[in-house]
Amino acid sequence: MPKISVDKLEPGMKLAKPVLAKSGMIMLGEGTELSAAWIERIQDMEITSVFIEGPTIQAVPKEEALAALQERFAKVEDKPYMNLIKKVVEKHIEGLYE
Amino acid sequence: MSKIDPKILRHKVENINTLPTVPGTLKRLTTIIEKPRITLVEISSFISNDPALTTKVLKMVNSAIYGFPGRIASVSHATMLLGLNVIKGLLLGVSVFDLMQKTMNGLYEHSLACAIASRVIAQKKGLKEPEEVSVAGLLHDIGKVILTLEFQAEYETAMSEAKNKGISIYDAEKEIFNATHANVGGWLAEKWRFPRNLVEVIEYHHRPALSKNASLETAIVHMSDLLVRARGFGFAGENLVPEVNPATFELLALTEADIRDVLNEMESSMEAVGDT
Repeated sequence: MPKISVDKLEPGMKLAKPVLAKSGMIMLGEGTELSAAWIERIQDMEITSVFIEGPTIQAVPKEEALAALQERFAKVEDKPYMNLIKKVVEKHIEGLYE
Repeated sequence: MSKIDPKILRHKVENINTLPTVPGTLKRLTTIIEKPRITLVEISSFISNDPALTTKVLKMVNSAIYGFPGRIASVSHATMLLGLNVIKGLLLGVSVFDLMQKTMNGLYEHSLACAIASRVIAQKKGLKEPEEVSVAGLLHDIGKVILTLEFQAEYETAMSEAKNKGISIYDAEKEIFNATHANVGGWLAEKWRFPRNLVEVIEYHHRPALSKNASLETAIVHMSDLLVRARGFGFAGENLVPEVNPATFELLALTEADIRDVLNEMESSMEAVGDT
Protein backbone atom coordinates (compact mmCIF):
# COMPACT_ATOMS: atom_id res chain seq x y z
CA MET A 1 0.00 0.00 0.00
CA PRO A 2 2.27 2.83 -1.17
CA LYS A 3 1.68 6.46 -0.30
CA ILE A 4 1.71 8.61 -3.39
CA SER A 5 2.15 12.34 -3.62
CA VAL A 6 -1.04 13.96 -4.99
CA ASP A 7 0.72 15.38 -8.05
CA LYS A 8 1.77 11.87 -9.11
CA LEU A 9 -1.74 10.39 -9.14
CA GLU A 10 -3.02 8.87 -12.36
CA PRO A 11 -6.54 7.94 -13.43
CA GLY A 12 -7.31 4.27 -12.76
CA MET A 13 -5.40 4.08 -9.46
CA LYS A 14 -7.45 2.78 -6.54
CA LEU A 15 -7.51 4.32 -3.07
CA ALA A 16 -6.22 1.91 -0.41
CA LYS A 17 -7.37 4.26 2.38
CA PRO A 18 -10.16 6.80 2.39
CA VAL A 19 -9.27 10.41 1.63
CA LEU A 20 -10.20 12.48 4.68
CA ALA A 21 -11.02 16.15 4.98
CA LYS A 22 -9.20 18.19 7.62
CA SER A 23 -11.96 17.46 10.11
CA GLY A 24 -11.45 13.74 9.63
CA MET A 25 -14.61 13.17 7.58
CA ILE A 26 -14.41 10.77 4.66
CA MET A 27 -14.39 12.56 1.29
CA LEU A 28 -13.61 9.56 -0.92
CA GLY A 29 -13.96 6.00 0.31
CA GLU A 30 -11.49 3.15 0.32
CA GLY A 31 -11.42 1.30 -2.99
CA THR A 32 -12.51 4.31 -5.07
CA GLU A 33 -11.04 4.19 -8.56
CA LEU A 34 -9.65 7.63 -9.29
CA SER A 35 -10.90 9.54 -12.32
CA ALA A 36 -9.18 12.64 -13.68
CA ALA A 37 -11.89 14.75 -12.01
CA TRP A 38 -11.37 13.13 -8.61
CA ILE A 39 -7.63 13.64 -8.89
CA GLU A 40 -8.16 17.32 -9.57
CA ARG A 41 -10.39 17.61 -6.47
CA ILE A 42 -7.84 15.81 -4.34
CA GLN A 43 -5.14 18.16 -5.58
CA ASP A 44 -7.32 21.11 -4.56
CA MET A 45 -7.60 19.80 -1.01
CA GLU A 46 -4.98 20.52 1.61
CA ILE A 47 -3.41 17.10 1.46
CA THR A 48 -0.03 16.09 0.18
CA SER A 49 -0.38 12.36 -0.41
CA VAL A 50 -2.86 9.47 -0.50
CA PHE A 51 -2.64 5.69 -0.15
CA ILE A 52 -2.91 3.66 -3.32
CA GLU A 53 -3.50 -0.07 -3.60
CA GLY A 54 -0.44 -2.18 -4.32
CA PRO A 55 2.63 -3.38 -2.42
CA THR A 56 4.42 -0.90 -0.15
CA ILE A 57 8.00 -0.05 -0.88
CA GLN A 58 9.94 -0.49 2.37
CA ALA A 59 12.29 2.30 3.37
CA VAL A 60 15.21 0.02 4.26
CA PRO A 61 16.45 -3.04 2.35
CA LYS A 62 15.44 -6.44 3.73
CA GLU A 63 18.95 -7.48 4.81
CA GLU A 64 19.38 -4.26 6.75
CA ALA A 65 16.02 -4.64 8.47
CA LEU A 66 16.79 -8.22 9.50
CA ALA A 67 20.28 -7.31 10.75
CA ALA A 68 18.77 -4.55 12.88
CA LEU A 69 16.30 -7.09 14.28
CA GLN A 70 19.17 -9.41 15.29
CA GLU A 71 20.87 -6.54 17.05
CA ARG A 72 17.74 -5.50 18.93
CA PHE A 73 17.26 -9.02 20.24
CA ALA A 74 20.93 -9.88 20.84
CA LYS A 75 20.82 -9.44 24.62
CA VAL A 76 17.54 -11.16 25.36
CA GLU A 77 17.37 -14.00 22.87
CA ASP A 78 17.94 -16.73 25.45
CA LYS A 79 15.40 -15.31 27.91
CA PRO A 80 12.07 -17.12 28.31
CA TYR A 81 9.68 -16.72 25.37
CA MET A 82 11.93 -14.22 23.63
CA ASN A 83 13.00 -16.60 20.91
CA LEU A 84 9.37 -17.35 20.10
CA ILE A 85 8.57 -13.63 19.85
CA LYS A 86 11.64 -12.98 17.76
CA LYS A 87 10.73 -15.68 15.26
CA VAL A 88 7.24 -14.29 14.75
CA VAL A 89 8.59 -10.76 14.27
CA GLU A 90 11.28 -12.04 11.90
CA LYS A 91 8.67 -13.75 9.72
CA HIS A 92 6.56 -10.62 9.84
CA ILE A 93 9.43 -8.43 8.63
CA GLU A 94 10.31 -10.91 5.87
CA GLY A 95 6.67 -10.82 4.82
CA LEU A 96 6.86 -7.07 4.28
CA TYR A 97 9.20 -7.66 1.34
CA GLU A 98 7.15 -10.28 -0.48
CA MET B 1 28.18 10.88 38.61
CA SER B 2 26.13 12.85 41.11
CA LYS B 3 22.60 11.65 41.19
CA ILE B 4 19.56 13.84 41.26
CA ASP B 5 17.66 13.63 44.54
CA PRO B 6 14.39 11.84 43.72
CA LYS B 7 12.51 14.08 46.15
CA ILE B 8 13.59 17.16 44.27
CA LEU B 9 12.84 15.41 41.00
CA ARG B 10 9.33 14.57 42.16
CA HIS B 11 8.76 18.08 43.41
CA LYS B 12 9.82 19.53 40.07
CA VAL B 13 7.68 17.11 38.12
CA GLU B 14 4.62 17.78 40.24
CA ASN B 15 5.03 21.48 39.74
CA ILE B 16 5.25 21.06 36.03
CA ASN B 17 3.13 24.16 35.49
CA THR B 18 5.89 26.37 36.83
CA LEU B 19 8.52 24.87 34.57
CA PRO B 20 9.62 27.46 32.05
CA THR B 21 10.10 24.81 29.38
CA VAL B 22 6.47 23.71 29.41
CA PRO B 23 4.46 25.49 26.73
CA GLY B 24 1.38 27.54 27.56
CA THR B 25 -1.07 25.25 25.77
CA LEU B 26 -0.03 22.31 27.91
CA LYS B 27 -0.30 24.40 31.08
CA ARG B 28 -3.84 25.45 30.24
CA LEU B 29 -4.72 21.88 29.47
CA THR B 30 -3.32 20.46 32.68
CA THR B 31 -5.20 23.09 34.68
CA ILE B 32 -8.40 21.81 33.10
CA ILE B 33 -7.75 18.12 33.59
CA GLU B 34 -6.66 18.54 37.19
CA LYS B 35 -10.09 19.86 38.17
CA PRO B 36 -11.70 17.29 40.44
CA ARG B 37 -15.17 17.44 38.96
CA ILE B 38 -14.74 18.30 35.36
CA THR B 39 -17.69 17.35 33.16
CA LEU B 40 -17.74 16.11 29.62
CA VAL B 41 -19.48 19.34 28.57
CA GLU B 42 -16.73 21.50 30.07
CA ILE B 43 -13.97 19.52 28.48
CA SER B 44 -15.78 19.45 25.18
CA SER B 45 -16.18 23.23 25.13
CA PHE B 46 -12.55 23.68 26.14
CA ILE B 47 -11.53 21.68 23.07
CA SER B 48 -14.03 23.35 20.77
CA ASN B 49 -12.75 26.80 21.71
CA ASP B 50 -9.35 25.91 20.35
CA PRO B 51 -9.44 25.23 16.61
CA ALA B 52 -5.96 23.73 16.48
CA LEU B 53 -6.75 21.37 19.32
CA THR B 54 -10.11 20.48 17.75
CA THR B 55 -8.42 19.49 14.52
CA LYS B 56 -5.85 17.38 16.35
CA VAL B 57 -8.44 15.61 18.47
CA LEU B 58 -10.69 14.85 15.50
CA LYS B 59 -7.75 13.66 13.48
CA MET B 60 -6.70 11.34 16.27
CA VAL B 61 -10.14 9.86 17.00
CA ASN B 62 -10.74 9.34 13.29
CA SER B 63 -7.40 7.67 12.78
CA ALA B 64 -6.89 3.95 12.74
CA ILE B 65 -5.72 4.05 16.35
CA TYR B 66 -9.20 4.21 17.77
CA GLY B 67 -11.04 2.05 15.35
CA PHE B 68 -13.59 4.67 14.31
CA PRO B 69 -11.91 5.81 11.10
CA GLY B 70 -13.64 8.73 9.44
CA ARG B 71 -16.81 8.53 11.47
CA ILE B 72 -16.54 11.22 14.11
CA ALA B 73 -17.33 14.72 12.94
CA SER B 74 -17.63 16.76 16.11
CA VAL B 75 -15.88 17.13 19.42
CA SER B 76 -19.10 16.53 21.35
CA HIS B 77 -19.63 13.30 19.43
CA ALA B 78 -16.07 12.25 20.21
CA THR B 79 -16.39 12.99 23.93
CA MET B 80 -19.68 11.09 24.16
CA LEU B 81 -18.29 8.10 22.36
CA LEU B 82 -14.98 7.88 24.15
CA GLY B 83 -15.79 9.10 27.65
CA LEU B 84 -13.98 11.40 30.02
CA ASN B 85 -10.91 9.31 30.79
CA VAL B 86 -10.10 8.53 27.21
CA ILE B 87 -10.62 12.14 26.15
CA LYS B 88 -8.41 13.43 28.95
CA GLY B 89 -5.68 11.04 27.92
CA LEU B 90 -6.11 11.86 24.29
CA LEU B 91 -5.87 15.59 24.94
CA LEU B 92 -2.63 15.11 26.78
CA GLY B 93 -1.48 12.79 24.06
CA VAL B 94 -2.01 15.26 21.24
CA SER B 95 -0.51 18.16 23.21
CA VAL B 96 2.47 16.36 24.67
CA PHE B 97 3.43 14.54 21.54
CA ASP B 98 4.17 17.73 19.67
CA LEU B 99 6.85 18.17 22.29
CA MET B 100 7.97 14.60 21.78
CA GLN B 101 8.90 15.31 18.21
CA LYS B 102 11.23 17.99 19.45
CA THR B 103 12.73 16.33 22.50
CA MET B 104 13.10 12.72 21.37
CA ASN B 105 12.78 12.02 17.70
CA GLY B 106 10.77 8.82 17.22
CA LEU B 107 9.03 8.74 20.60
CA TYR B 108 5.79 9.85 18.98
CA GLU B 109 5.90 7.00 16.52
CA HIS B 110 6.80 4.56 19.31
CA SER B 111 3.83 5.76 21.37
CA LEU B 112 1.35 5.65 18.49
CA ALA B 113 2.36 2.13 17.57
CA CYS B 114 2.07 1.12 21.21
CA ALA B 115 -1.44 2.61 21.37
CA ILE B 116 -2.44 0.55 18.34
CA ALA B 117 -0.95 -2.68 19.65
CA SER B 118 -2.57 -2.10 23.04
CA ARG B 119 -6.00 -1.67 21.49
CA VAL B 120 -5.64 -4.81 19.38
CA ILE B 121 -4.51 -6.97 22.31
CA ALA B 122 -7.23 -5.49 24.55
CA GLN B 123 -9.83 -6.44 21.95
CA LYS B 124 -8.40 -9.93 21.65
CA LYS B 125 -8.56 -10.32 25.43
CA GLY B 126 -12.16 -9.12 25.44
CA LEU B 127 -11.61 -6.02 27.59
CA LYS B 128 -14.67 -3.81 27.80
CA GLU B 129 -12.88 -0.54 27.15
CA PRO B 130 -10.13 -1.16 24.59
CA GLU B 131 -9.86 2.61 24.01
CA GLU B 132 -8.78 3.12 27.60
CA VAL B 133 -5.99 0.61 27.19
CA SER B 134 -5.07 2.29 23.93
CA VAL B 135 -4.73 5.65 25.71
CA ALA B 136 -2.59 3.96 28.34
CA GLY B 137 -0.36 2.72 25.53
CA LEU B 138 -0.24 6.20 24.04
CA LEU B 139 0.82 7.77 27.33
CA HIS B 140 3.01 5.04 28.84
CA ASP B 141 6.25 6.95 28.13
CA ILE B 142 4.96 10.40 29.10
CA GLY B 143 7.61 10.49 31.82
CA LYS B 144 10.27 10.58 29.12
CA VAL B 145 8.78 13.74 27.66
CA ILE B 146 8.92 15.54 30.98
CA LEU B 147 12.43 14.30 31.76
CA THR B 148 13.76 15.36 28.38
CA LEU B 149 12.05 18.75 28.73
CA GLU B 150 13.28 19.58 32.19
CA PHE B 151 16.59 17.71 32.32
CA GLN B 152 17.73 17.85 28.75
CA ALA B 153 21.46 17.57 29.42
CA GLU B 154 21.07 14.78 31.99
CA TYR B 155 18.73 12.87 29.71
CA GLU B 156 21.16 13.10 26.84
CA THR B 157 23.80 11.65 29.15
CA ALA B 158 21.40 8.82 30.00
CA MET B 159 20.83 8.10 26.33
CA SER B 160 24.53 8.03 25.52
CA GLU B 161 25.21 5.87 28.60
CA ALA B 162 22.57 3.44 27.36
CA LYS B 163 24.17 3.37 23.95
CA ASN B 164 27.75 3.03 25.14
CA LYS B 165 27.10 0.43 27.79
CA GLY B 166 24.47 -1.43 25.80
CA ILE B 167 21.95 -1.09 28.64
CA SER B 168 18.31 -0.10 28.51
CA ILE B 169 17.31 3.54 28.83
CA TYR B 170 15.29 2.46 31.88
CA ASP B 171 18.48 1.31 33.66
CA ALA B 172 20.42 4.34 32.45
CA GLU B 173 17.73 6.62 33.91
CA LYS B 174 18.03 4.87 37.25
CA GLU B 175 21.74 5.62 37.32
CA ILE B 176 21.31 9.29 36.63
CA PHE B 177 17.95 10.23 38.14
CA ASN B 178 17.60 7.59 40.84
CA ALA B 179 14.14 7.17 39.36
CA THR B 180 12.76 6.27 35.94
CA HIS B 181 10.37 7.67 33.37
CA ALA B 182 7.86 5.15 34.74
CA ASN B 183 8.00 6.80 38.20
CA VAL B 184 7.78 10.26 36.68
CA GLY B 185 4.84 9.26 34.50
CA GLY B 186 3.09 7.72 37.49
CA TRP B 187 3.48 10.88 39.58
CA LEU B 188 2.08 12.97 36.78
CA ALA B 189 -0.82 10.64 36.10
CA GLU B 190 -1.73 10.81 39.78
CA LYS B 191 -1.47 14.55 39.85
CA TRP B 192 -3.66 14.76 36.75
CA ARG B 193 -6.28 12.62 38.47
CA PHE B 194 -6.14 9.81 36.01
CA PRO B 195 -8.02 6.71 37.03
CA ARG B 196 -6.07 4.26 39.17
CA ASN B 197 -5.69 1.69 36.40
CA LEU B 198 -4.09 4.20 34.05
CA VAL B 199 -1.69 5.37 36.78
CA GLU B 200 -0.66 1.76 37.35
CA VAL B 201 -0.12 1.01 33.69
CA ILE B 202 2.17 4.01 33.33
CA GLU B 203 4.01 3.33 36.57
CA TYR B 204 4.45 -0.42 36.14
CA HIS B 205 4.75 -1.00 32.40
CA HIS B 206 8.32 -2.16 33.00
CA ARG B 207 7.45 -4.22 36.08
CA PRO B 208 3.95 -5.51 35.33
CA ALA B 209 3.93 -7.93 38.25
CA LEU B 210 3.58 -4.98 40.65
CA SER B 211 0.24 -3.80 39.32
CA LYS B 212 -2.58 -4.72 41.70
CA ASN B 213 -5.62 -3.06 40.18
CA ALA B 214 -4.81 -3.23 36.50
CA SER B 215 -2.69 -6.31 35.98
CA LEU B 216 -4.22 -7.17 32.63
CA GLU B 217 -4.01 -3.62 31.24
CA THR B 218 -0.43 -3.28 32.48
CA ALA B 219 0.45 -6.64 30.95
CA ILE B 220 -1.02 -5.50 27.63
CA VAL B 221 1.03 -2.30 27.52
CA HIS B 222 4.19 -4.15 28.67
CA MET B 223 3.73 -6.57 25.77
CA SER B 224 2.81 -3.83 23.28
CA ASP B 225 5.88 -1.77 24.17
CA LEU B 226 8.00 -4.87 23.60
CA LEU B 227 6.38 -5.73 20.27
CA VAL B 228 6.74 -2.17 18.98
CA ARG B 229 10.43 -2.24 19.83
CA ALA B 230 10.78 -5.71 18.33
CA ARG B 231 9.27 -4.48 15.08
CA GLY B 232 11.48 -1.41 15.21
CA PHE B 233 8.87 1.34 15.04
CA GLY B 234 10.06 4.71 16.32
CA PHE B 235 12.64 5.32 19.00
CA ALA B 236 12.23 5.27 22.78
CA GLY B 237 15.72 6.03 24.06
CA GLU B 238 17.72 3.08 22.74
CA ASN B 239 17.25 0.28 20.22
CA LEU B 240 16.90 -2.77 22.45
CA VAL B 241 14.03 -5.17 22.92
CA PRO B 242 13.44 -5.62 26.66
CA GLU B 243 12.87 -9.14 27.95
CA VAL B 244 9.27 -10.07 28.52
CA ASN B 245 8.12 -10.74 32.05
CA PRO B 246 7.41 -14.51 31.80
CA ALA B 247 4.41 -14.40 34.15
CA THR B 248 2.97 -11.55 32.08
CA PHE B 249 3.46 -13.48 28.88
CA GLU B 250 1.66 -16.43 30.42
CA LEU B 251 -1.13 -14.22 31.75
CA LEU B 252 -1.80 -12.81 28.30
CA ALA B 253 -1.47 -16.23 26.69
CA LEU B 254 -1.12 -14.82 23.19
CA THR B 255 -0.70 -17.40 20.45
CA GLU B 256 1.75 -16.92 17.61
CA ALA B 257 -1.22 -16.11 15.40
CA ASP B 258 -2.32 -13.42 17.89
CA ILE B 259 1.11 -11.81 17.78
CA ARG B 260 1.06 -11.92 14.00
CA ASP B 261 -2.32 -10.17 14.01
CA VAL B 262 -1.02 -7.45 16.31
CA LEU B 263 1.99 -6.87 14.06
CA ASN B 264 -0.14 -6.76 10.93
CA GLU B 265 -2.62 -4.34 12.43
CA MET B 266 0.22 -2.17 13.66
CA GLU B 267 1.76 -2.18 10.21
CA SER B 268 -1.31 -1.00 8.36
CA SER B 269 -2.39 1.48 11.02
CA MET B 270 1.07 3.03 11.22
CA GLU B 271 1.09 3.43 7.47
CA ALA B 272 -2.24 5.19 7.66
CA VAL B 273 -1.20 7.61 10.41
CA GLY B 274 2.22 8.14 8.86
CA ASP B 275 1.64 11.82 8.30
CA THR B 276 -0.01 12.82 11.57
